[in-house]
Amino acid sequence: MDIGQLLATAANLMVTGMVGVFVFLSLLISAIIFMSKIMSRFEEPVVEAARTPSIKAQGVPSAHVAAISAAIAQYKNKQKS
Amino acid sequence: MEALLNLWQATGIANFTFPALIMIAVGCLLLYLAIARNFEPLLLLPIGFGAILTNIPVAGLSDPGGLLYYVYHIGIDTGVFPLLIFMGVGALTDFSALIANPRMMLLGAAAQFGIFATLFGAILLNYVPGFEFSLQDASAIAIIGGADGPTAIFLASKLAPDLLGAIAVAAYSYMALVPIIQPPIMRALTTPEERKIQMPQLRTVSKKEKIIFPLMVLGLTMLFLPAATPLVGMFCLGNLMRESGVVDRLSNSAQNEIINITTIFLGLAVGSKLAADKFLTVETLGILALGALAFSIGTASGVFMAKGLNKFSKSPINPLVGAAGVSAVPMAARVVNKVGLENNPHNFLLMHAMGPNVAGVLGSAVAAGILLALVG
Repeated sequence: MDIGQLLATAANLMVTGMVGVFVFLSLLISAIIFMSKIMSRFEEPVVEAARTPSIKAQGVPSAHVAAISAAIAQYKNKQKS
Repeated sequence: MEALLNLWQATGIANFTFPALIMIAVGCLLLYLAIARNFEPLLLLPIGFGAILTNIPVAGLSDPGGLLYYVYHIGIDTGVFPLLIFMGVGALTDFSALIANPRMMLLGAAAQFGIFATLFGAILLNYVPGFEFSLQDASAIAIIGGADGPTAIFLASKLAPDLLGAIAVAAYSYMALVPIIQPPIMRALTTPEERKIQMPQLRTVSKKEKIIFPLMVLGLTMLFLPAATPLVGMFCLGNLMRESGVVDRLSNSAQNEIINITTIFLGLAVGSKLAADKFLTVETLGILALGALAFSIGTASGVFMAKGLNKFSKSPINPLVGAAGVSAVPMAARVVNKVGLENNPHNFLLMHAMGPNVAGVLGSAVAAGILLALVG
């Protein structure tokens, strides 16, 4: 092959190579975004499910729990001082 | 008297040739750069020493039967050493910055333009008398622009084993020179305002995402670019061992013992390719020049891509992070951080630059796969 032909092949390689790299990595981008979406959907319900029943089962609203724990903390602080 | 003469004939002094002496001097230069200047010492030290060993007359360390001959044939001819190193690099790499902001992958892709532009440049160099690069040679030289030592050695051992010594030395020298080559290009292509851009904090990435990521990369490579699976596959294996958290012992070995042992022998074997008849040619000068060109073009195209993304993106992107798209992990990311801090002392870009940085590793492995598939 003479240099002119080689140059043409190299230019061809340059275009195909860059297109190839971009297409492949773009595919990877969409795959990551897709995976992250699925993952976040999976994660949230698990957290919710774990929390809600435990509070409901005791029949105490969370506002009351907060108030009671605040009162206990205050009492403990007083005891200390 | 006869015996004395024979003994004299067996000394190094009687057998030295001038080119071999020059190569020993090159070896000493590499040792100096490694020890006194701290340039990639982990590789330049064994490479420099290997260069000295291989040029010792009479001993024939690189002739069939010699130690370096076997090390080269077992480790590099077969492609095993660079792949083992890639496994270690996978075990050392944290992909969370990339998973949190996947668009950064485009910067890692853009920086690979350095590779393909240099391929064209290497062929163009054939117009200069004295240069005769085939398409295979040109591809192996161009991969220096990937700024990834193991990938460069892997591809060179497959496509142009004769040029391997010069290519590996150029690749590792320029990786050491990243803090000197990149900042002027980055400053020239961006305005101070652009360099001050702060990027929003990255979200935390769950463990599950990190475990699925290497499997996903492997799956895509399997489907679309099987030629890249040796590199990408070993990389993903290392990364999965790290992120799965169940094989800490294996992951630690890959990150420490295996990568260290392999580095010693890889360096020696590359050094053994620095024989006078292969290295002291005009082609080596051409390779060194093309390597620098490849690095600069890669850096520039990364920065341009980041500028383009910044125009279209809702959340701001500092164009400097594009420069980290050439792999050279983590040096390129540190350089980005440093240049960013010069303009805005509160702007820490390190984590943002790690995204394109690790994307660059994947990008150059993919580029190597494409070259292997099309040229090999």
